[in-house]
Amino acid sequence: MEFLYFLARRLLWSILVLVGLSIIIFTIARVVPGDPARIALGPLATQEQVAALQAEMGLDQPIHSQYLGYVGGLLQGDLGQSLLTQRSVNEDIGDTFAATFELVVATVIVSMIIGVPAGVMAARNKDGWLDNSSRFIALLGVVTPAFFLAILLQILAGYVLQILPVTNRMPAGIDFQANITGLMVIDTMLHGRFDLTVEALRHLLLPTIALSAATIGQIMRITRSSMIDVSRQDYIEASRAFGIPARIRTFKYMLRPSFVPPLTILGLEFASLIGNAFVVEMVFGWPGMASYGVRTILQKDLNAVMGVVMVSGLFFVFVNLLIDVLVGYVDPRVRIRGTR
Amino acid sequence: MSRPIPLAFGSACALAALMIAAPAMAQSNVVTMNTVQIFGTIDPAKINDYTEYMAAVNLYDGLVTVDEGGNIQPQLAESWEVSDDSSVFTFHLNPNATFQDGSPVTAQDVVYTVDRLLSINQGPAYLFADVLEPGSVAATDDHTVVFTLSQTFSPFLATMPAVFIVNADLVEENAGDDEGQTYLATNVAGAGPYMLDSWDRGSRMTLTRDENYYGGWHDGAIDEVRWIVTNDEATVRSLAASGELTMTSQYQATETYDAIAAMDGFYLAEEDTAVAFYYKLNTQIPPTDDVHIRRAIACATDYDLIREVILPGGVLSTPLPPLFAEFHNNDIPAPTFDLECAREEIAQSQYAGSGPIPIVHSYVAGTAFEEEIALLFQATMEELGFEVTLQPEPWNRITELAGEIDTTPNLTQVFFGPTYPSPDSMFYTQYHSNAAGTWASMEWVLNDQVDSLIDAARATADVSEQAEIYRELQALLVEIQPDTFLLTQRVRHAMSDCLTGFQAIPMQSFDYDMYRYTWTCDPNG
Repeated sequence: MEFLYFLARRLLWSILVLVGLSIIIFTIARVVPGDPARIALGPLATQEQVAALQAEMGLDQPIHSQYLGYVGGLLQGDLGQSLLTQRSVNEDIGDTFAATFELVVATVIVSMIIGVPAGVMAARNKDGWLDNSSRFIALLGVVTPAFFLAILLQILAGYVLQILPVTNRMPAGIDFQANITGLMVIDTMLHGRFDLTVEALRHLLLPTIALSAATIGQIMRITRSSMIDVSRQDYIEASRAFGIPARIRTFKYMLRPSFVPPLTILGLEFASLIGNAFVVEMVFGWPGMASYGVRTILQKDLNAVMGVVMVSGLFFVFVNLLIDVLVGYVDPRVRIRGTR
Repeated sequence: MSRPIPLAFGSACALAALMIAAPAMAQSNVVTMNTVQIFGTIDPAKINDYTEYMAAVNLYDGLVTVDEGGNIQPQLAESWEVSDDSSVFTFHLNPNATFQDGSPVTAQDVVYTVDRLLSINQGPAYLFADVLEPGSVAATDDHTVVFTLSQTFSPFLATMPAVFIVNADLVEENAGDDEGQTYLATNVAGAGPYMLDSWDRGSRMTLTRDENYYGGWHDGAIDEVRWIVTNDEATVRSLAASGELTMTSQYQATETYDAIAAMDGFYLAEEDTAVAFYYKLNTQIPPTDDVHIRRAIACATDYDLIREVILPGGVLSTPLPPLFAEFHNNDIPAPTFDLECAREEIAQSQYAGSGPIPIVHSYVAGTAFEEEIALLFQATMEELGFEVTLQPEPWNRITELAGEIDTTPNLTQVFFGPTYPSPDSMFYTQYHSNAAGTWASMEWVLNDQVDSLIDAARATADVSEQAEIYRELQALLVEIQPDTFLLTQRVRHAMSDCLTGFQAIPMQSFDYDMYRYTWTCDPNG
């Protein structure tokens, strides 16, 4: 019951965060230079045309009326009309979210698969050559900007070696609609098109590497330090004294409690990558929500900007909530603390 | 327990080999071109920017179209007549013209298209703001349509290629409550040579040719057109290297053009365009309100350095690019870099001898070549006694600053090209008092003589008389020097050796009407 109260309190905070976010973004979007109606209609549109579109969009209303109108639509699930694509923002985000989600999920999976074992290996060989070289590579991953790595990978794999595609989710001549889950890899399998699954994976590979380098580095470093902390606990010393084999000690008694910090970081990364994937998406022509968001900002497409930010915010809040629950599951102490 | 690690490693290696081994498919008779921005809409009543026009010109046909010389050519209309006072235009439709669904193109479709355009009042509707009203277009029979203008407007015919005819029956069937805007945002109801095959808004659009196109097909016509959205230089190079790209966009870096042109199977296509690049000088605020200061700036501009080193382009001697050969004033010499002339002009100005002359030079922030030009300007003008403030601004901010005389900088670097193939598009939009207050008219010329010449050219249907007026207008504008005429933009494309047909056309994206292109290699080669 108390845990439910904890969850309810977190939910309430989440709603407040989203309301605050909507106010801030709504205000910022309106004070940056540029008239969205003028931009949408083109530079040579007459003043009458611009005024008509401003009235149609409600831009001639006081800002608080505009905000209330927007929130009214939001509560009904209507994100409004995009000036860039001339259609509903809901549709635009529906079309682009899955691409970003697929990229981010792939990034998180790769980060976990590489980052956690690398962290464990580094901790088990503390201060050895394996530890030092892992830490160096992790540091390199963290400090290398994603766009730089993306371009480097493109030049290497696409231009010099010509072994991997450098843009989009499918080759230009293939018209496959990912209309079940929106995830190209999954949908091609569900349709039994395993040849296209390979194509989808080929297209996913370079953007995933570019996006995951920093996350792998972070996960590896945090897993390592967390493992080292846990290895100094009395019960680990006791297990060593009892002669429990190193492999069982590492994976059964040390890894689980060490997993809380990387899991928390992974959750935060997962949520923030949804919004931050834009650089990699732009470089690789990945038709995701993050690159859509950038284009709408450049066009001052107010409804679309709000829509992208709100969906990203909602996702961030939801994932954080989920991580709280997961961390509570992995570490009962957190669950108990949360009920107090 | 089995050994999972070697097994997983082996599987990963096999998957990696499979992924890397899958080759990129080579295509022939298919044009794949990159664009640097997405296709916003394909509704011909709402199109605005270069990608939207590029799609529309392939998916739709107009009554008329335009060629590389800016001449109006028949398309859905096989002929037309213009009344003596240029206020009534009668078009006779090609009786064999059909839409992509096979239904005939009729005069009623034209009436519906224009009424819908005026009602939605977006996209190309601004071209007709003062000349067409609802009901001013009438079908006199199935194949004859008459446009009656509310005032004389001789460039009207030149604006008509921007009106793409929609299939009235098809749109009405799907009109909903928004005159088919939702439907036409993603569907095509046109008579163009290419049909929409697929469209992923964020990444690409594919068109395939309509085998039943009423205009027929020539040998080597393009079967399929693919546009890939990317503005990343490394991506473009990689796509070209892997054979996935046959034509670059016109917005790549010089290094990218050179690198791709150096690859086997590519060449560089270059054309001077009707897009002009100016220093727009605010003629209403000090010190650029003094014609001698404006002339001094013109004399102190190193045209050769800009055109040959910083931004390759053609010579621009008047406000009108030479591509409008019939109307261009060839008696006006090209401006030259002459610091002595600049000093003499400054000495004649009202600001001479009053200490450093402050001047604000604005350009689009983040644009490397504009920054180089601005720094060159600063170095030269400070040598002549000016105090130059460089003011890089985002483009959206520049469009806002252009709204008022007092906020418009002394000097702004601006590209401007015709939106319809008539000198009127260059003169009215930039210099007429009624068009003041936009980024295109940051000069604030506000000159009665200029206005009356532009109006006179609009009011006559006699082309030779128009040409005479436009030549006089160019001479006047060079004399009062509201701009420094830097260059005409040179458009470049790295293209496959197998592809020909690119020609600069002085209207929107009509250069990318793929019906005009030809694949010269063996399609099976």
